[in-house]
Amino acid sequence: MREGDEDVSELPIVPQVPRPVDAGDHGVHRRGIFDPELLDRCISCGFCLPVCPTYALDKDEQSSPRGRITLMRALESGRLEPDDPTLQHEASYCLGCRACETVCPAGVEYGPMLEQWRDHQWRAGHGPALARWLRWAVARRRMLQLSGLVRRFARTRGPVRDDVAHVMLGCAERALFPAVSQAARALVPGADAPADQGCCGALHAHNGDSAGGREMALRLGRDLPGTIVTTSGGCAAHVAEHLGRDRLVEISDYLVRTGWKPAGRLMTKGADGRPRPIRVTLQDSCHLRNGLGVHRQPRELLEQIAEYVELPSAASCCGAAGSYSILRPRDSKRVLAPKLDEIMAAEVDYVVAVNPGCLLQLKQGLLPRRARGAKVKAVHLVELLVRAGSRAE
Amino acid sequence: MSTADWGVVDDEVVGRLRDIVGPEHVKVDDGAVAAFARDATPLYAARPDVVVMPGSAAEVAEILRLATRARVPVVPRGAGSNLAAGTLAEAGGIVLVLTRMDQIVEVNADELLAVVQTGVTTAELAAAAAADGLLYAPDPGSKTVSTVGGNVATCAGGLRGLKYGVTRNYVLGLEAVLPTGEIIRTGGRLWKDVAGYDLTRLLTGSEGTLAVITEVTVALVPMPATSRTGVAYFDSLATAGRAVAQVIADGVVPATLEFLDNKCINAVEDFAGLGLDRTAGALLLFGDDGAPDVVEQNLERMARTCEKQGASGVTMAREVAESEALLAARRCALPALARLAPVTVLEDVGVPRPRIADMVARIDDIAERHGISVATFGHAGDGNLHPTAVLDPSDGDAAERTKAAIGAIFSAAIELGGTITGEHGVGAAKLPWLQDRLGAEQMALLSRIKTAFDPAGILNPGKTGSQEL
Repeated sequence: MREGDEDVSELPIVPQVPRPVDAGDHGVHRRGIFDPELLDRCISCGFCLPVCPTYALDKDEQSSPRGRITLMRALESGRLEPDDPTLQHEASYCLGCRACETVCPAGVEYGPMLEQWRDHQWRAGHGPALARWLRWAVARRRMLQLSGLVRRFARTRGPVRDDVAHVMLGCAERALFPAVSQAARALVPGADAPADQGCCGALHAHNGDSAGGREMALRLGRDLPGTIVTTSGGCAAHVAEHLGRDRLVEISDYLVRTGWKPAGRLMTKGADGRPRPIRVTLQDSCHLRNGLGVHRQPRELLEQIAEYVELPSAASCCGAAGSYSILRPRDSKRVLAPKLDEIMAAEVDYVVAVNPGCLLQLKQGLLPRRARGAKVKAVHLVELLVRAGSRAE
Repeated sequence: MSTADWGVVDDEVVGRLRDIVGPEHVKVDDGAVAAFARDATPLYAARPDVVVMPGSAAEVAEILRLATRARVPVVPRGAGSNLAAGTLAEAGGIVLVLTRMDQIVEVNADELLAVVQTGVTTAELAAAAAADGLLYAPDPGSKTVSTVGGNVATCAGGLRGLKYGVTRNYVLGLEAVLPTGEIIRTGGRLWKDVAGYDLTRLLTGSEGTLAVITEVTVALVPMPATSRTGVAYFDSLATAGRAVAQVIADGVVPATLEFLDNKCINAVEDFAGLGLDRTAGALLLFGDDGAPDVVEQNLERMARTCEKQGASGVTMAREVAESEALLAARRCALPALARLAPVTVLEDVGVPRPRIADMVARIDDIAERHGISVATFGHAGDGNLHPTAVLDPSDGDAAERTKAAIGAIFSAAIELGGTITGEHGVGAAKLPWLQDRLGAEQMALLSRIKTAFDPAGILNPGKTGSQEL
């Protein structure tokens, strides 16, 4: 909120400017919800439409990045109230995948605007109740530690050292996929994985509490001095935004930077009974790709250990989108559905994720197909890399 | 027809619309219609009363019959990438969104044609054709976004205009719905067909003022074996313009001849990072497609001509991907200019090719006289220029000065034997200048044609064929 704008959200709506000089609220700043430079930048060219997963589903302007920016402007100008049903719907229907940013010639920063939108829209209990509960739950360190204890073998003991890299345990991963953290530790020589680390706050930032999210990222930085390595693309983009890209490194980026090489390729038995390299494909992590620009690295690693095939929609969101799969399960499945068909058509042994949310989404999505006999499995990148073994340079 | 005569979109009309397309495809909420208050035209916005998303020509016909009876304005809309306020509901009423009709009906390699529903994007059509070894030649800058129906409605041009022509050269037939509800089929799968007036051509470029296009049959050509692109740098757009004239005088009709001035080069480079020379006054992108040895030969000739005409540097794309990246960068010139200021007002004048250098000089002069900043890019090969004013609306009377400058640019183009719009359309934005281009007699004829198609005047009022609102 800007100076002199303490609480203007309840001001009466300005009378509609007569047609046609009304510029669609472009450049009108009354409520101070959005950073004016961010909001003014969009010229509504629509180049973002073809990469937006929700626009692809509905072909509906209001569910496109450009349409949502038009809605943000109507909120900012006072033309629409925060409880407007379309605003409410679109604020939560957006996956927040930020694919739109990568194709925007004007350089619109949609991600930060979405955070500002949800900060305002979902304040004072207006957001989804589940989102509030999730924010509360992962902010509780005790709870995270307990969830990690159930599946305890990922963490390390002893004081936090400042001369080694730290593996971030993440709030979902330590409970759901401790083997992923363990594989990451095996790939990063000497790394520890202290149990006493909080949630990184990405979930807060994406769900209406960007200030809280920022604070948690900074605290994580204090808890884990030095380099932090993460297996979660979503966390990586959030934490790197606050700690910098030198402090927080996503694991594929880390391994490529440090020149990791496998001992050999991973083989399996082919249909003819003879050994063949495993066939794999990658599902990008949206924030890793669109936020940090890391997408070449996991492919480079996979090509060293397997036969790699690219899915047509590899760069497009799988529908996990952080807490989206919990908050909007039906839409999450609609986003995923065409991708499952692509995975089946690609005839791969593994579909590889670089983010625990995507991993869970793909695993669950593939369940019915596996029940019908499909062999393809969803795995995290590090699980395959660790199986290939490291070659000492 | 004055605005006072419009029928009201009341509960009964909305109820009928819901019956026709299903309640989930009708929007009346404030927020939902607000999202459709814009297309890609800066400084223009207008909210419809209701947004309807039909799924078939039959539904479109029922909607139009209802609208004609109730005298409710209907504004057809594809992806909303229009740049002339051509899809804005300035009189309120219905915005008819056709993006749900997105099926590719047929790509036929034997007949060299494709049939698509109106809401298929241009890039999807091009990709489907390419999968069968065919080229859909029209190549508008917004092809990843824009719909084929929208392209036909505006007769979209693009980057291949000189060698291949524009959308109208590829439309063989249309299915369209008249405002009174009849579904007509014009043309068809025929290259030769002179039975009656050429309604296919009349509807192509009619900007949704005569009928609603629901299906399009387009001609395809065999995919050229190869294509290649080069870049030449000049000290000014005028020098580049003279090089263009010489290239064509030499007997080469290339697939690509695009230019960008210094401001555009820098904006595009900020986005695409291709290593363009940021210090150059102008850049000429030249390219050709066809048989490899011919392409090679033409590229060499164009490069030599550019050098003779004073190019400070010439580079050739080494591979197809590099050529594609250069063309993609050129296509995003307009939105990339948004990096310079919050508002970019793009124009679309055309002049006979030999007058390009004159037109560029006039634009510079007009910009200076009105104290505004103008960046220019365009299709040098076909004389279609996009002078783009970049302005900050908070800067006092910048918008007023820009409007005055645009009027002067239109006058200059007409004086040079040119037009006020080459490929974007008239829309609401350029209607005030249409008579300057056409004269009173043609304006009256346009109005009579409009009435013949649309007796109640409900289709896209305030655009070509009707009065300003």
